[in-house]
Amino acid sequence: MPALFSRMMSLLILMAGGAALASLAGAETTGTVLGIVAGALIWLIGDNWLARAFADWLHHVPDEQPGTSPPRLDSARREAAERIQRLLRRQRLDAEELENRLHNIQSALQASPNGVIILNEQECIEWCNRTACEHFGLDSLRDLSQRITHLLRAPVLVKSLAMRDFGEALTLESPLSTAARPLRLEVRIFPYGHGRLFMLSRDITAIEQAEAMKRDFVANVSHEIRTPLTVLAGFIETLQTLPLEEEERTDMLCRMAQQSDRMKSLVDDLLTLSRLEGSAPPGIKEWTPVRALLEQLGADARALSALLAGQNAPEHELIIEGMDTSGEIAGSASELQSAFFNLVNNAIRYTPPGGKIVVRWQAQPNAGACFSVQDSGPGIAPEHIPRLTERFYRVDSDRSRASGGTGLGLSIVKHVLQRHDATLAIDSAPSKGACFTATFPAVRIRAGGQKDIGSD
Amino acid sequence: MTAKHLSSQFDSDLNNVSSQLMEMGGLVEAQVKRAIDSLTHFSLAEINCVLDTEVRVDQMEVEIDRALTTVVARRQPAARDLRLLLAISKITTNLERAGDEAHKIGKRAKSLVESGEVRQMPIGDLRVAADLAASLIHRALDAFARLDVAAAIDIYREDDQIDREFKGFVRKLITYMMEDPRTISSSLDLLFIAKAIERIGDHAKNISEYIIYIVHGTDVRHSKLKGIENIVQEKQTPPL
Repeated sequence: MPALFSRMMSLLILMAGGAALASLAGAETTGTVLGIVAGALIWLIGDNWLARAFADWLHHVPDEQPGTSPPRLDSARREAAERIQRLLRRQRLDAEELENRLHNIQSALQASPNGVIILNEQECIEWCNRTACEHFGLDSLRDLSQRITHLLRAPVLVKSLAMRDFGEALTLESPLSTAARPLRLEVRIFPYGHGRLFMLSRDITAIEQAEAMKRDFVANVSHEIRTPLTVLAGFIETLQTLPLEEEERTDMLCRMAQQSDRMKSLVDDLLTLSRLEGSAPPGIKEWTPVRALLEQLGADARALSALLAGQNAPEHELIIEGMDTSGEIAGSASELQSAFFNLVNNAIRYTPPGGKIVVRWQAQPNAGACFSVQDSGPGIAPEHIPRLTERFYRVDSDRSRASGGTGLGLSIVKHVLQRHDATLAIDSAPSKGACFTATFPAVRIRAGGQKDIGSD
Repeated sequence: MTAKHLSSQFDSDLNNVSSQLMEMGGLVEAQVKRAIDSLTHFSLAEINCVLDTEVRVDQMEVEIDRALTTVVARRQPAARDLRLLLAISKITTNLERAGDEAHKIGKRAKSLVESGEVRQMPIGDLRVAADLAASLIHRALDAFARLDVAAAIDIYREDDQIDREFKGFVRKLITYMMEDPRTISSSLDLLFIAKAIERIGDHAKNISEYIIYIVHGTDVRHSKLKGIENIVQEKQTPPL
């Protein structure tokens, strides 16, 4: 209202001014009227000029920095200009906030460990995160608005999208999957909004591998336990049903004892493995003289060799190098003893009678040390070597079972060595013998006679 | 895939035919991959699955051809749209043939398994070429979806490697057959498998030729690699 009032006033003042000027100049009535009209005209021109300025300002207003005031205007237009500017500023802030929020949501989705793909109503990719790109080999910029089934053509996925059946998760192989680096994905699709889809993908390669290993392990254990059990059951049945000579009975009981021993050693090995997996790794405060370990090992090995050789065959030639060491090793003495004996045990069992076995303890230049067992046995073909430490893995299943192995020895060795930060290297070729070397790091080895650090 | 038309129905027709082609591509791709995997596992279940896919692929070929005829008759497309439709028709044929080759691999693998002489044969040597052929088919379809000429040219280039592997493998088979004539029947099976793999690579190469045709409108069939590269370069640099 005051704005309108001021406009009216300025018009009236100009008209009155024109009339006054005309009458001062001594004009008649017509002159006065002409003066009024001239005043009105001047007002009109001025008003037009202001309107132009306002229009100009309106034209540029979106580019203007916030806070730049409109040019000099009359109060009515200034008010309009200020309102427009306020409105625009608020709109800009709202848009910025919205954009920020969108950006935050996108970064959250981007950070997700799962692949995320957002599909629009036509099943075109609207957005996908980096993980999805890695899973499916997509390009997050180039492949936008591309139909998903054009790039992910796995028949299960295409079918599920065509039937709009998103009930269960799909398992498919990534297009980037290779034999050397398999990549299996679990894909879930969630419909939302009006026909839009939200696709989640998860890398399940490791899970599937672990499951396969578990299945294999259970199958192997059952098989290993069932074999001696079947033999035992057979003997028991014979003993129950047939009247036997005393000699036959003794022989049969003896063989039954063998089978039950085999089962016992299998269960013992399994328990050892589960203990190794379940307990905390041994610390580096418990020090054992290496010499004592080697002496015990030598005694056990000779006993085993004599036992296997029997009366006729010659015993193995067993050489232990490094007996004069005064070094000490940190870790669990019983675990190390069992690991070392497993290696020597293998060497004795796989080397024909009279063969040569060299057990060696050697200090390394980097202050670590290595324990190695070299035999003159038949050797191992290269394709078996990487898999030797797998549970129940056997190069030649008949032979190793006949020689009394459980198939778990090297797994135990590997576990024990891992717990002692050591590594196992296997060097062998057919008919060249085999050398198993455990290398211990410097932190676990020290020269003998030292005081325990921090033990007092 | 293409710029918008006045008739949005036309756009959706084109898109649907493309989608059908990609679906068929997915089937063939999976079939080829499975056929090749069956060469390492020799599982009969897998081989039978390869043989069964054949029916569905043939069905899709017919469906796509029918859809193409309808679109051409109704819309009378021109320029790029016409090229796209023609190329889809040709690519369908190539895909169907690649599927046939996978079928052949399956059949030969089955006869190898049944003969029981699998273990002594040098199947591992096929692996490189086989993996490459599977990846070429996959990449050719990707390149079609993205109309990516650079990727198409890469495929063209890599097909030569399959051909080289094939020649080497044939030489190796000959030595096997000369050493021990008893391996001749298995060797022949393997030879057909190797040939099928080589043909799959060729079909992938053909598909990549049609991609260049869609994008640039130049027929590059039977051209040398260098010639194709020149043509594409010419098209990409805008005239002064």
